[in-house]
Amino acid sequence: MEGIILNDHTKYSLTDKQFSRRILLQNAMWMSGAIATGIGSWVFPAKWSHAAGPIKVGIATDLTGPISFGGIPCSRVAKLAIDQINADGGILGRPLEMYLEDTASNEQIAVGVVRKLVQRNRVDVVLGGITSSMRNAIKDVIVGRGRTLYIYPQLYEGRECTPNLFCTGPTPAQQCDDLIPWLIANGGKRFALPSANYVWPHVLNEYARKSIEDNGGEVVLEEYYPLDQVEYGATVKRIMDEKIDVVFNTVIPPGLGPFIKQLYEAGFLKRGGRLSCVYYDENALNFNAAEEMEGLASCLDYFQNIDDPFSAKLQAAYQKIHAHKDKVLFTAGSGSTGMYRGVKLWEAAVKEAGAVDRDSVAAALDHAKIANGPGGPSNIVPGTYHCQMNMYIAVAKAGKYEIIDKADQVHPKECG
Amino acid sequence: MALLEVKGVCKTFGKLVALDAVNLTVENQQFHGLIGPNGSGKSTLLKSIAGAERPEEGTLSFLGEDISTTPPAIRARRGMSLKFQITSVFNLLSVYDNILLSLQAAHSLLSLAGSRSRQKLHTQVLDTLSEFGIEARADDLAGNLSHGEQQWLEIAMALAPGPRLLLLDEPTAGMSPEERRVTGELLRPIKERCSMLIVEHDLDFIKDLSDVITVFDQGQVLDNGTPEQIENSERVKEVYLTRV
Amino acid sequence: MTILNRIAGARPGTNGRISRLLTIELVVFVLFALMPLLSGLVWSEDDSFFWIVFTTKVLILSLFGLSFDLAWGYAGLMSFGQALFFGGAGYVVAVMSRDLGISSIFIVLPVAVAVGLVLAMLLAAFLLSGSRTPSIIFIAFGTLTGSYAGERLARAWYYLGGQNGVSITKALTIGDMPLYEGVGFYYLALGFLVAAYVGCRILVRSQFGLVLAGIRDREERITFLGYKVQLTRAIVFTLSGAIAGLGGGLYAFHEGFVWPALMGPIYSTQAMLYVILGGVSTLIGAVIGVAAIEFATIILIDYLRDFWVIILGFLLLLVIMFRPMGLLGMLVSNRERIGSFRWRGANSKSDTRGD
Repeated sequence: MEGIILNDHTKYSLTDKQFSRRILLQNAMWMSGAIATGIGSWVFPAKWSHAAGPIKVGIATDLTGPISFGGIPCSRVAKLAIDQINADGGILGRPLEMYLEDTASNEQIAVGVVRKLVQRNRVDVVLGGITSSMRNAIKDVIVGRGRTLYIYPQLYEGRECTPNLFCTGPTPAQQCDDLIPWLIANGGKRFALPSANYVWPHVLNEYARKSIEDNGGEVVLEEYYPLDQVEYGATVKRIMDEKIDVVFNTVIPPGLGPFIKQLYEAGFLKRGGRLSCVYYDENALNFNAAEEMEGLASCLDYFQNIDDPFSAKLQAAYQKIHAHKDKVLFTAGSGSTGMYRGVKLWEAAVKEAGAVDRDSVAAALDHAKIANGPGGPSNIVPGTYHCQMNMYIAVAKAGKYEIIDKADQVHPKECG
Repeated sequence: MALLEVKGVCKTFGKLVALDAVNLTVENQQFHGLIGPNGSGKSTLLKSIAGAERPEEGTLSFLGEDISTTPPAIRARRGMSLKFQITSVFNLLSVYDNILLSLQAAHSLLSLAGSRSRQKLHTQVLDTLSEFGIEARADDLAGNLSHGEQQWLEIAMALAPGPRLLLLDEPTAGMSPEERRVTGELLRPIKERCSMLIVEHDLDFIKDLSDVITVFDQGQVLDNGTPEQIENSERVKEVYLTRV
Repeated sequence: MTILNRIAGARPGTNGRISRLLTIELVVFVLFALMPLLSGLVWSEDDSFFWIVFTTKVLILSLFGLSFDLAWGYAGLMSFGQALFFGGAGYVVAVMSRDLGISSIFIVLPVAVAVGLVLAMLLAAFLLSGSRTPSIIFIAFGTLTGSYAGERLARAWYYLGGQNGVSITKALTIGDMPLYEGVGFYYLALGFLVAAYVGCRILVRSQFGLVLAGIRDREERITFLGYKVQLTRAIVFTLSGAIAGLGGGLYAFHEGFVWPALMGPIYSTQAMLYVILGGVSTLIGAVIGVAAIEFATIILIDYLRDFWVIILGFLLLLVIMFRPMGLLGMLVSNRERIGSFRWRGANSKSDTRGD
């Protein structure tokens, strides 16, 4: 029942009216598609069948609710990857069948629909969840009680070391190791860490602080604000008074927009200050006016204008199918890069294991590699459930990103 | 020792002085009538005694104990029973249940949860109902009774637990003459069991029934005495003739 | 028949007819009892298992709904705080499981009940003490504040998992035997629901229940009969907290996850919606309301992905506008809902009128 109501306790929310109208339209199209495919979970059956039956892939993500900006591209990218695999003959000669469930940005509903995937549809793997809260809600249903493999695709705070739960999104180490030294060199030594008060910023900041101090910087200010706070006058004043060089921000919408704006109006950028925010992708560029975000540095596993032919092809394939529908983008901040990566790594593991049962695949997944993915190749670091990936530093210039730096195969540094 | 002693009680509602240094005594086994023009403070006095109103000054003592600050529920348990001016039976409950509710109040909540006294009180309920002539209506909802029947039900509820003092606020209001007569018949025999402080408008009804009458006017006691004395009192006649 | 009489205050009358309310109650519980046994006939094994697990959740949430009906339908307290007791108990047992490894049912459930009970008692002491009768708005706001505070606390406190909530990865254990989701847990939940239900039913049809009926009818007047009204309500409110707590403990281990919203005002409102739809002040209405809304949700979510919420809201609106007494109000008269408290043993003069 909560799907349409609250907007505050969420990581991201978009206020663009045009955007939400298009989402509604796009969802209507999904619905008619669903009715066409039939009753029950949204199943995308393979177009051909095989004696041993299809391999069932469960995708559980937020198609509705505040997190739908992430769930929708995740589900599309998953389908894209699965369709590509099927076009190449499936895995082990068997087609993939995609079972899609909407977790509706609501943990209680999520547990119910994920149970459907695991108990009723008996999928061989589940990929999904975007917020950490959602991951926590569904992980036991999948991994514990359901004894099924679970792949979590989104950037997050790390420290998830549950067996049979693999994470294919960036970790704090991956987002900071390259970025922090660059910020000190291209911004300054005095850091402020204004943050939203929930788990991800707390844990990320722990890592960031250590990295900052190890590189000769100083954390002058570290503060946590309620998720619905929109007034940042006091914070901005302190940042200006303390002569902060770099603002390493983890405030999220709805507070993000006002904060950036108030910081800009106080003259932070004018006097040479550097903004940084590691969840900033192409979607986030819509949150403020271009001049307010000028010079903002982000570090993610993928940007749309990186120099990687495979990524460009992937983005083109996505655009070809979906660009005319709405403005929902295939970006790194939505978890869709991790989703693609997760599907392909899993494919590699199944091929190596020659079987679909959890234990065999998990053993193979433990060291799985892919040569191509969004942002570049990737491989799981054995024993850690996390993967290495290329990380890119991008800086916002006049409302677009400029790729400044690329770090190859950064180590996740989790569960080791 | 008097059953009820009211000493120097004062009550104001904003600028209106409802009770002004009122003194009144009710003895054991006494029917005490309270009359006076509309708005003279009779109801307020009754409510103050029962605990529905809190006087600013004065003391109230019942059975020798000071009850000026005692909560109404406790006063009820000590033996004081109040019948409101406006009928307030429990409309959604049956007549039987209304009586049961008044009878079982003395029991602890725990024993009520276990329904330990339900069987025991059954005969008492039925007896009370027949005493007041409403046993035929036992299973009807109290809200469906005629006005007169509701008044009798309320009186029954007030009397059933065997109080020491019964406070009645205009028990015959809205009744036909016949109903009024019946009410008088119902009330007369209870003097053995309890005293009554009865506020009434109908002088005839009250002088028949009462041992003592107190006359009120504008929040003060005007006069006090036996019905004959009051009937012959000049002051009383003047007040009753000049005002409604 | 006499035991059922005692429970339900039923009136046999001259032709052995039992009340509609009792019939509905029996039907509901018999259906629940038989459901796992019959499900295999209707569905495939996988589907059957899914529906058994889903219905277990419905049974657990019925405890939650029942607690609200006790508070509002019987004690006249419009409590927006039931989720505080439900979620609070869930959190305590979740943290106990995570930090102390406790999963034994003999510790978990008593603790859950105790948490709900104590929280309700504290809230009752705060809201119901004082000489004035608290208004409905006061109670609503007071309980709403409690629920809101609970959610904020859980959201902000890292030890409680913050926004991420707490996962419960252990299964509930009875001695050495773990109890996973499935038929075993189903009958456990059903057993607790029936026990709580029967307990409440006896209470609200007892002489204590008569006092509650009187309080709901005329709160001011009943004081003058000698009843301590606020104490009586506080007792019922505390009981409702205990039942909500029991539900919370079962929920935590069955669903495997507690999160801040579980304690919050929105969830409290959900309890209210369950009961209002099913029928206030009937006890079984709470169970029916939970079943109706939960089953409707899981079925509609497949067909009308974006609109089911709107449709559900619309249905609720219709019910409240035209049938404020809820679904059950269409079948059970007001008189039957309140019941009769008359002694009906041998030698009682029974009457066939009324009802």
